[in-house]
Amino acid sequence: MKKLLSILLVLLMACSMMVGCSKEPTVVNLKVWGAQEDQEMLAGMIEEFKAANADKEWNIELGVVGEPDAAKKYLEDPEAAADVFAFANDQLRDLVNAGGLYKVTRNTENFSDIYAPGTIDAASIDGTLYAYPMTADNGYFMYYNSDFFTADDVKDFDTMLDKAAAAGKKVFMDVSNGWYIASFFLGNGGTLSIGADGKQVCDFNNDKGVEAGEAIKAITAHAGFVTGDDSILIAGIQDGSIVAGVSGTWNAESISKAWGAAYAATKLPEYTTASGKVQMGSFAGYKLVGVNSQTKAPVEAMDLAAWLTNEANQVVRFEKRALGPANVNAANSDAVKANVALAALAQQSAYAVSQKDVLGSYWTPAEAFGVAMEGKDYSKSVQEQLNDMVAQIQQ
Amino acid sequence: MNKIKEVCAVIIETIGSIIGKMGRAFVNFFKHFAQGDKITKLSYVVMGAGCFLRGQKAKGFIYLGIQVCYILFMILSGGYYLSMLPTLGTNQQGEVWNEELQIYQVIKGDNSMLLLLFGVSVVLVTFGIFILYLMSVNTAYKNEVAVKNGEKLLSFKEEWNMLFNEKYHITVLALPVVLTFLFNVLPLIFTICIAFTNYDKMHQPPGNLFTWVGFENFTQVLYQNPLWATTFMRLLTWTLIWAFFATFLNYIFGMLLAMLINKKGIYLKKMWRTIFVITIAVPQFVSLLLMSKLLNDQGSLNNLLISLGWIEDYIPFLTKGNIAKITVIVINCWVGIPYSMLITSGILMNIPQDLYEASKIDGAGPIRQFFSITLPYMLHVTTPYLITQFMGNINNFNVIYLLTAGDPKSLNLYQAGETDLLVTWLYKLTVNEQNYALAATIGIIIFLLLSFISLVTYNNSNAVKGESDFQ
Repeated sequence: MKKLLSILLVLLMACSMMVGCSKEPTVVNLKVWGAQEDQEMLAGMIEEFKAANADKEWNIELGVVGEPDAAKKYLEDPEAAADVFAFANDQLRDLVNAGGLYKVTRNTENFSDIYAPGTIDAASIDGTLYAYPMTADNGYFMYYNSDFFTADDVKDFDTMLDKAAAAGKKVFMDVSNGWYIASFFLGNGGTLSIGADGKQVCDFNNDKGVEAGEAIKAITAHAGFVTGDDSILIAGIQDGSIVAGVSGTWNAESISKAWGAAYAATKLPEYTTASGKVQMGSFAGYKLVGVNSQTKAPVEAMDLAAWLTNEANQVVRFEKRALGPANVNAANSDAVKANVALAALAQQSAYAVSQKDVLGSYWTPAEAFGVAMEGKDYSKSVQEQLNDMVAQIQQ
Repeated sequence: MNKIKEVCAVIIETIGSIIGKMGRAFVNFFKHFAQGDKITKLSYVVMGAGCFLRGQKAKGFIYLGIQVCYILFMILSGGYYLSMLPTLGTNQQGEVWNEELQIYQVIKGDNSMLLLLFGVSVVLVTFGIFILYLMSVNTAYKNEVAVKNGEKLLSFKEEWNMLFNEKYHITVLALPVVLTFLFNVLPLIFTICIAFTNYDKMHQPPGNLFTWVGFENFTQVLYQNPLWATTFMRLLTWTLIWAFFATFLNYIFGMLLAMLINKKGIYLKKMWRTIFVITIAVPQFVSLLLMSKLLNDQGSLNNLLISLGWIEDYIPFLTKGNIAKITVIVINCWVGIPYSMLITSGILMNIPQDLYEASKIDGAGPIRQFFSITLPYMLHVTTPYLITQFMGNINNFNVIYLLTAGDPKSLNLYQAGETDLLVTWLYKLTVNEQNYALAATIGIIIFLLLSFISLVTYNNSNAVKGESDFQ
């Protein structure tokens, strides 16, 4: 019996030790996710943050998860995800729906002064701010070779295509991609919104949408048009076969290198529908920094997120990586204004729509429609194809 | 049809014998309780009583220790997870305004996914403990009988030594069995369970709860949701077509290639063989990614053909549904033929030459020889290989995903493209759509399909039936 008792006692002690083992936190442990190319820059910002908040002991870990994959990676295991992470604002709704983000309530005193209302809206759901705006350059516009096109040519898509085709050259746009193809629909008054049941609502198959669809059909069939991904664009620009292309700031460096003095960029052109000329719209994407709802140190995480997105660090982002600042003061600096790509993006932003109300279900069907147009698959009418697309988007 | 019936009969017989054994154990469990003395009866409540009260101290206390640990585990955490299993959580994540910190502090709720995972683990642990309990009860009864018959019970040292002699298999197999349960069975049960929940985008932890929905996912994917159902049926058809061609084209062309190299009068046999095997040395994904670049609409091959003036417009190798399907199958041949050439050339050399000589005397030509000697011999030896190849191709994620990623996308399919296999669709559903429930459902359906096909074909193959034919 003694033996039995002693075994029991040992077991009980072991159990109580395991329960009582949680020691007081003396160090603030935080994990940050950022893109591969930003690692060095982020490490520098974090060091400065530590130096500026020397009253606490910090253990900040830096992980590689790029902004486009952040929500995906986060939802795989929220508990193991980073406390502070950067993401593209089209993931905001998914993250908020999953209860993954802290409401941002600290360090926001002067937000209405330093951010445009559109920027704050892009980081908010139903009027509640969920993340700190970081960059405002996730959009696209028209790059063109100014030796080939005049500033007047690039105002109209048809002029560009005709002129390119006549010279055996091409104008590039990635039509089999929901992000780019939306510019036709958005320009002609199409909308993407969220229904009461939380599902995507899309009106791209109404009369206006069909007009846009017919225009896409005509453009993709034009001899002066070429589609493909970024590698096609860059290769075509380098070998001279592409004289203009729709893309974003991430290609600015290689395009300016290839074209040299002829490097130019502007807003997207107008295209022709049955009822007249239409200015192409676009998606305006922002990159935001959010705080994981599962974090053990929400206050410190919010301070760090605010630090990573403060004005000084947005300037650093522009200087080191040519990322367009979201902060109004940083964006109005002469250096930013002199940047050809960012200036074109700013021009286009007047016709841009926030990407926040686009759910994940939009992309694949939109791409499928683009594929059908690129592949000149006219087995169904544009109206029917758009009906299929909208039905799938709203699934 | 008869063969399928035979297989079913075998399966039913096996299941029957297992149930029979379980039934007998069940009956014995109560019989021994009724027949046993007080100590045996006590061991039904206190594990190991039948051992330590009869002198097997160490063994008895190990049993008792296990029971105590289990009870403590159930009280401390296991019981909670078990009780949450029927609902998968009821507390949703909330928040309260913290004036001091100026934040909406998040109050963590239940995480349905973790509750399900831990719940399943507790069930498995309980199952394991139950088996140990049956073992202890059984030992208690055996000990009682042994004592009655005046036999001496084994000491702990003797039993310990037995683990390295008569019962060595238990020692060796213990770790693999535990690990299999931990890393194979547990995740498997977990995924199967997810198929019966509504774990999708709208029920995403940590902010939301998901719960059991029964067979709804199955009915949805099979007929209730027309878009899902047509996608499923079309991808299933394509998967089977793909698996058929990918398996048999590789096999036949590999065999022909091997025969060609084996043929008398071909010089430099080793060099030819080496050249084909060298393609294996390049990692598959590298060659596949290169291929997808090469065959792009604006890729090198199209550019070459256009600049040669052979074609007017590019050929949509990977961007038009049916052409892409053919391209994928052909490229898979290019990747796979060296392997089947290697495997078949060895077997071809093993076919007794006298068979060919005898047939030649009887006047058989090369074609007749191929169909009457080579092919039957090959099929006899390689049927199991063909079956595994077929199964492997049904789940051939790499080739499809690296080559086309399932593209071109189609408006007739739900979140899928023309060349998507069921398994790549499943991947897209989890990664892009977070529709884990639907993905798990499809996983189960693929599993049922695969196990049915492989059981039927394997049991009917000559390799199993006529094992002695060629010996």
